[in-house]
Amino acid sequence: MSAFLNIIIVGLLLGGIYGLVSMGLNLIFGVVRIVNFAQGELVMLGMYGAYLSWYLLGLDPYLSALVVVPCLFVLGVIIQRFVLQPLQNEPSMQIFATFGLLILFQNVVLAITRGTGYSVHSDVSGVVLSIGDINVSLSRLFVLVTVIVVAVGANWFLHSTMYGKAVRAVTQDRRSARLMGINVELAFMLTFGVGSALAGLAGVLLAPIYTLSPQIGGNFILAAFAVVVLGGLGSVWGAFFGGFIIGFIEAFAGYYLSPELKHAIWFLVFIAVLIVRPGGLFGIAGAEEVGLREQD
Amino acid sequence: MMKLTRRAALAGAAMALCLTAGGGASAQETFKVGTINPYSGPLALYGGEVNRGYELAADAVNKNGGILGRQVEILKGDATNPQEGIAAVERLATRENADAFIGTYLSAVAGAASETALNYNKLYWDTNALATNLTERGLPNYVRSGPYSVSFADVSIDLILNSLAAKLGKQPGDLTVWLEHEESVYGTSIAEHQKERLEAAGVKVLGIGAHSYKSIDLTDSVLRARDANPDIWVQTGYVPDGNLLLRTARDQGFKPKATVFVGTGDTKETLEAMGADGVEGLLVVSYPRPDISEAYGPGSKAYLEAYRAKYGEDPIAPQSMAAFVGFKIMASAINKAGSAEPEAVSGVLGSFDEPLRTYETGFGAKFDENKQNQRAYPTVIQWQGGKQITVFPDDAAGDNKMVNIGN
Repeated sequence: MSAFLNIIIVGLLLGGIYGLVSMGLNLIFGVVRIVNFAQGELVMLGMYGAYLSWYLLGLDPYLSALVVVPCLFVLGVIIQRFVLQPLQNEPSMQIFATFGLLILFQNVVLAITRGTGYSVHSDVSGVVLSIGDINVSLSRLFVLVTVIVVAVGANWFLHSTMYGKAVRAVTQDRRSARLMGINVELAFMLTFGVGSALAGLAGVLLAPIYTLSPQIGGNFILAAFAVVVLGGLGSVWGAFFGGFIIGFIEAFAGYYLSPELKHAIWFLVFIAVLIVRPGGLFGIAGAEEVGLREQD
Repeated sequence: MMKLTRRAALAGAAMALCLTAGGGASAQETFKVGTINPYSGPLALYGGEVNRGYELAADAVNKNGGILGRQVEILKGDATNPQEGIAAVERLATRENADAFIGTYLSAVAGAASETALNYNKLYWDTNALATNLTERGLPNYVRSGPYSVSFADVSIDLILNSLAAKLGKQPGDLTVWLEHEESVYGTSIAEHQKERLEAAGVKVLGIGAHSYKSIDLTDSVLRARDANPDIWVQTGYVPDGNLLLRTARDQGFKPKATVFVGTGDTKETLEAMGADGVEGLLVVSYPRPDISEAYGPGSKAYLEAYRAKYGEDPIAPQSMAAFVGFKIMASAINKAGSAEPEAVSGVLGSFDEPLRTYETGFGAKFDENKQNQRAYPTVIQWQGGKQITVFPDDAAGDNKMVNIGN
């Protein structure tokens, strides 16, 4: 029984990690309609940002979020304004551009670090809360709490503020939104900025858990794409619950079946969901096709 | 005016020709060794480190008259993947007239580069690649002087049977082990060999766990091992998964009586991830380090001094000493053969019969029919107070003692 409970906790904490990494990706996909291949690299940059703040300023990695998250917001705005906006009418070129950014970020970090694995220290990262047989590392608990706060916050923002409503309007129909006086380009820039800032936040919170390498973003991004498609494209709650579903599947399959099979099993579930609900579990039916519809 | 110019041009061309010819002649006076390693990209750190071993060996060989009476010159060939390995060998063999090749710790690059070297009928001497199949190919120009994956697996088992069992106060028949490994052919082949040898000795293997070294989470792997409650936990993999396993084991309160890592876990990367307390007592099977005893590795202290004198720091990784020894064995093989032709060098390999503990790394030299050195073994370090201390085999450890195992 305690093993079972333990696995539930493991799945929950892992789901938090997946959810947090997917949130920004899903926002960008939902609003700007770009599959951002460089999202994992933005997470990676967030991790190295935490390392740099720790190394140069002596900041605890969790405090470095105050520096790193705004930096990534600005980076996101710059990417949208100067790389993606000029390609606005060529969706496939935009995808290639994000792929180019992926290669660029990876290789720049690689050139600087020469590929040595770095680690970030926080006083928190070694703390473990034990309840009976169940051990919860505090750094993973932080991730879980953050993903809940971010999901609730994003949901409130999108539904209860004027800016949020503008973003939703742009998501639903760019042309009508423009006719209503919404600055679509600005909405895109801010959304990409927020999506990139969320990746930065994920990077900061994950930095104390992993050994940093320039390629680490790739380890998250495959799972994040699965989470986004499974949960529902463009839906905040989709990324949130999708993360937990993948987390639970991985924890249970890994423990009870075999760690070798866990990825195969979550992709099996992923394919099954796609067949039954192509829009994802929480997505609006047909949402997956909007990107192909004539826009603007 | 026109005539003059033409004459001047002719003279210039003639001079240039003379210079090239002269340059060619003087270049032939050196013995050129192409060193294939990653010198750029994510793996450059260790590539450069291996090359330092070659440079130190070239210095030593040159002091003793060089190779075939010629001074040794090192030509670097950058190769981070097999395609680049092929290109580097082609460039060095054709444009730079390399006489022989030596390389690298990347098995895939070693495989491709050695086949290309064969096209030019050049020797490819391997000092640091681990894949078993490299020598099993039976390539006529391929020789390996260093340990390979089976040697690493063997030493991890020797450690368990000849040292840890007694320290834990157990007979092999009462000992329990969990084998964890990364799931590619590297980790899998080592784990299979370990299982075979452990079971032959009567040790109970409670389970074998495989994982991807790119995994986001290894709690499942750690919990499976923890719930099996083994005496000894053995892991074969890379740096990222090794670090994550150690972190997760700490978080999950998994404290086996002994933890043995094979291949990785002995570098600064693991120390920084876990802190000195986090790695305390961890045993790692890896390349022999310069702190091995003089009795085990004669000249290892002198090697360390030469390294410090040339580079102004301590070795970044132990791989360079195996590279250093490998280069020296290659030089003596070519000198013995009187030629760097693969056929001639292969012909004299059979005459090598140096016992273990001959070279700085404790290697001997005895080549089997696939030209694999059968007397090259890794050693075992233990993390003690944030330092890597050689603790096994006993005669390599010298005065060093294993701590925290079986109190």
